Amino acid sequence: MTLYHYLILSAILFVIGMYGLLTRRNAVGVLMSIELMFNAANINFVAFSKFITPNEFIGQIFSIFVITIAAAEAAVGLAIVLLIYRNYKGIEVDNINFMKW
Amino acid sequence: MLDKVWLVLLFPLLGFLLNGLFGWKFKRGLINLIACGSVGLSFLVSLGVFLDLLKLAPEARHFEKVLFPWVVSGSFKTAFSFLVDPLSALMILVVSGVAFLIHIYSTGYMHDDPGYVRYFSYLNLFTFSMLLLVLADNLLLMYIGWEAVGLCSYLLIGFWYEKKSAADAGKKAFIVNRIGDFGFALGIMLTFVIFGTVYFTPILERAPEVLQYGGAAATAITLLLFLGAVGKSAQIPLYVWLPDAMEGPTPVSALIHAATMVTAGIYMVARLSALFLMAPVSMLVVAIVGGVTALYAASIGLMQNDIKRVLAYSTISQLGYMFLACGVGAFGAGIFHLMTHAFFKALLFLCAGSVMHALAGELNIQKMGGLKKHMPVTYWTFLMGTLAIAGIPGFSGFFSKDEIIWKAFSSAQGHFLLWFLGAAGALMTAFYMFRLLFLTFHGKSRLTPELEKRAHESPNKMTVPLIILAVLAVIGGYVGIPHLLGGGNRIEKFLEPSFGQVSKAVETHHSGGVELLMMIISVLIALGGVYLAYTFYIKKTELPKKLAERYRSIYTLIYNKYYVDEIYNAVIVQPLKFFAIICWRFFDVIVIDGSANGLAKLVGLIGNLIRRFETGYVRNYALGFVVGVVIILGYFMLR
Amino acid sequence: MNLTLIIPEIFLFLWALLILFVDFFTAEEKKHRLGPLSLVGIVITVVLVVFSGQGQAFGEMFSADYYSLSFAIIFLGSAFLAICTSIDFARERIKHQGEYYALILLSTVGMMFLAASRELLSMYVSLELTTISLFVLSAYLKTDLKSSEAGLKYMILGAASSAILLYGISLLYGITGTTVLKGIQAELVGSAFPGPLLVISLVFIIAGFSFKLAAVPFHMWAPDVYEGAPTPITAYLSVASKGAGLAAMVRVFFGSLLPVTSEWIPLFMALATMTMVLGNIVAIRQSNIKRMLAYSSIAQVGYILVALSAASELATTSMILYLLVYMFANIGAFAVVIAFYNHSGTDEICEYAGLSRRSPFLAISLVIFFLSLVGIPPLAGFVGKYLLFLAAIQKGYYWLVGVAVLTSVISLFYYMNVVRQMYFRKPTKNDPVKVSWSLRLALVLSLIGVIAVGVYPDPFVSLISKAASVFVY
Repeated sequence: MTLYHYLILSAILFVIGMYGLLTRRNAVGVLMSIELMFNAANINFVAFSKFITPNEFIGQIFSIFVITIAAAEAAVGLAIVLLIYRNYKGIEVDNINFMKW
Repeated sequence: MLDKVWLVLLFPLLGFLLNGLFGWKFKRGLINLIACGSVGLSFLVSLGVFLDLLKLAPEARHFEKVLFPWVVSGSFKTAFSFLVDPLSALMILVVSGVAFLIHIYSTGYMHDDPGYVRYFSYLNLFTFSMLLLVLADNLLLMYIGWEAVGLCSYLLIGFWYEKKSAADAGKKAFIVNRIGDFGFALGIMLTFVIFGTVYFTPILERAPEVLQYGGAAATAITLLLFLGAVGKSAQIPLYVWLPDAMEGPTPVSALIHAATMVTAGIYMVARLSALFLMAPVSMLVVAIVGGVTALYAASIGLMQNDIKRVLAYSTISQLGYMFLACGVGAFGAGIFHLMTHAFFKALLFLCAGSVMHALAGELNIQKMGGLKKHMPVTYWTFLMGTLAIAGIPGFSGFFSKDEIIWKAFSSAQGHFLLWFLGAAGALMTAFYMFRLLFLTFHGKSRLTPELEKRAHESPNKMTVPLIILAVLAVIGGYVGIPHLLGGGNRIEKFLEPSFGQVSKAVETHHSGGVELLMMIISVLIALGGVYLAYTFYIKKTELPKKLAERYRSIYTLIYNKYYVDEIYNAVIVQPLKFFAIICWRFFDVIVIDGSANGLAKLVGLIGNLIRRFETGYVRNYALGFVVGVVIILGYFMLR
Repeated sequence: MNLTLIIPEIFLFLWALLILFVDFFTAEEKKHRLGPLSLVGIVITVVLVVFSGQGQAFGEMFSADYYSLSFAIIFLGSAFLAICTSIDFARERIKHQGEYYALILLSTVGMMFLAASRELLSMYVSLELTTISLFVLSAYLKTDLKSSEAGLKYMILGAASSAILLYGISLLYGITGTTVLKGIQAELVGSAFPGPLLVISLVFIIAGFSFKLAAVPFHMWAPDVYEGAPTPITAYLSVASKGAGLAAMVRVFFGSLLPVTSEWIPLFMALATMTMVLGNIVAIRQSNIKRMLAYSSIAQVGYILVALSAASELATTSMILYLLVYMFANIGAFAVVIAFYNHSGTDEICEYAGLSRRSPFLAISLVIFFLSLVGIPPLAGFVGKYLLFLAAIQKGYYWLVGVAVLTSVISLFYYMNVVRQMYFRKPTKNDPVKVSWSLRLALVLSLIGVIAVGVYPDPFVSLISKAASVFVY
């Protein structure tokens, strides 16, 4: 297992996340896809931390912070999705296009 | 007094603030006192400054007053500071003097207007802005005055904003001016890059060393600056705003045309004369634009039936003369004409206002006639103005205009063709001005009966300024009697320190005989124009109609002002609107969303995912984001 | 470690908690007093910021210097003005006012940390603190469809952009082995040819920050969110959130990526051009004033990007000064919009007809703010734009400045359209628009700012140029 295996894994995860972001119609699905993108970055951080700076733990610390922030973001995100559910009676993001142009 | 030059600016500013902020509480008398008094005081201070300057030796007439530092950033410094030299001293005198008379006149003219306070506060601000522009000793401060003048003209032209035409005219003036300002702003920046300063004194002193004669830098700077002047001083191709600008109250037109606003361009070119002299190409452009405008605008003036419109085109034409003078290096002559023009054009506009006042706003000269008996003061003063602008010997316009036409021929940069443009313009000027005079004041009355009854002379508040201006229009030229006629051309001598090495460039190489011949020719031309007008509009009044019918196509072309407004509308305004619609409907909605879809389809070709990429807005935005990333990545990869 | 340096941030954070605490014990009809209470906190924080001294704390994570000081003042100033404009709005239309003010303060705390950080981790965390608070605030009108839509769009796109930014940061960390900006710069000086990983990380970082700035093509969220969010929050978003993005961007690019300028300068020039052109042209056709101001604020970012691509000391000075100037003019303009909305409940431009007669003070204020946004002297916008363009001219980017000046001419069209409505159209109603003391305060402060910086910018410029000298160009 070299660094490149991890990098490729994270790249694949990132692209899957991005794909989900672009294709999911359910707001919760979109949020989950974004979580995937965060986690791709996390894998990068941990891998780089192990291979590039084995004596320091910058990357690992970074990833712990990112996990925390992602949790906060998901909480706020779900709250907003709930709000949308109440106002629009659904969480299909395609239906929410009251404002345009 | 020189040290107190900032008072010139302070009074109108105070007037603006007092009337603008608290005017709605004031009584009429107090408003008048503040508005007229502030400009009057400003005029008195200008006079003091001027006289003090005269006391100094000619070389020493250069005084800079720093009020406080303004922007300091690294090598870049500007201050609120003023430059008093013969050029600016003369300008503040003319601006504040003419503006004062117009203020007085306005108290009569605007008597019944509900926006009385608003009008006077704008008027004070206008005067302040122009004085700031003239007194500035650096380009940046001048630019402030420059923009403020543009803003005030917008406010005043659109003063009667309930009228759609007035509101539109205000907008047009502002936008057309901004096109010119765009050039001016770039010119200032380029000047700073090359000279490292925006102050006039070092720029003008160092221009010959820093710039290469005829070099690209000199040409670029001066052409950009001239673009600004073209916008502000209403030259081809940016003159279109000025004829519409008469939608404002008539005294405002007088102010715009005579003292403030349009003369700013001439002043700027004259102020930076040393730069222009380093760029012969630009000088030629200035001269040609000026000469062609002089002729072109005069030709439009021949056919107009709206009293103010004729005067507006005449202003454009006269400004053309001033640029013609600057273009051949005769900056002194240009400023001289600026001064005399300020007198007689203010006079003519105020007379027109007086006529409108008497006839309940009637503007069409075909419906006037015979007003001489109703309004003797207006008639006689108007006659003085007409004689002056037509260049009849003995009146101010003769001296200044003849000087320009002569310099167009004789100076080193002059040319016969430039002389011809000027001379032909002079013929038309004499013709259309006397046409205006005859149709308005002479002949049989074509007024409707009720107007006939209503017609009356204007009150004293209006006629007194007319008389003062008429006197000035007659005698204003005697400060610049040419050597040939035994005068000393004192005004150009006075202005000489401001123009430095200019006088050398204009040195003539023709003998006195040629000059005399040219002078006689131009007098004959002027008289010829008057005679033609006399035949057409007094003796054989049916002639114009016949001619118009015979040369139908030319007549309609000129009558419709060569369709320039229509062309601009079709070529510039409509496409721009169209472009905006395209960008909005097409670019944002179709291209961005659409390209997102396009990329989606590309991906969809691989699998059966095409349905999932149906447009939904949030996801489209995300896709736009991703597309942006991909495009930027592509840029890096393909580099 | 020097903990006294972060006293202002800690104080503001505690004040936000205090607001939440007081909120518990306040009767519903008295809750609008929380607004003035937060204003007091901001004023005290400003004093603390000015007197808290300079230095570093937590290694490179926090550095109090002139750079962070100037940005902190801008952020606190815009929070102050935004809260001033909120007080009536919140009383009439918002439930849970305590959380509302607390969130604004917390977001400001994030921004202050952001401007002070010289390290990617602390920068990222503070950026998230800023944006997550703003997600909540933009969806704050709970029953309003537009507001919740704005919240959803902002949240999805904001989270996605921050994920992309994070991915870029992770790659940059991998390439250089450090998250400290100075260390990154030291690593980059040696590398002759940037590898593809560096390019990808640069692009992702640019995309992430450009999203915060709302630069084209990462701007698409801005009009919708600005239109839907509660208007005081829109005002705050359009200035402070952009300012935060700018603070971080300048810190990263001028603080660590100057060795590879040739990589990103052409890119910023392209972004600047697109942003100015699109923002200004699309704004022309808008009929909702908040949406028009959204596009106008996109365009304003374009001007800032012009200077960003100049990458010089003057460029940094001009950007920060412009942000200050833009803060006064833009929040001022929004204050007028809010005052009008509070009275009439509409944001349509055509409803502004004849405002000059209904409320001359509002009308003339809006004109002054617009003229400053266009850059007409002697208002502050002129000085700001002048310095921005000067920075670009010094680097010889004539065409870029040409585009900038030309597009600011175009911007006249849509600003003057509003002016025309206010001055040259007859009002449909005749009742004067009432302006409360807090809005009046915001308006007057903004007016003073717009005029003072325009007439006498010298002290501002000299303070800010100290901030610009933080970087070695």
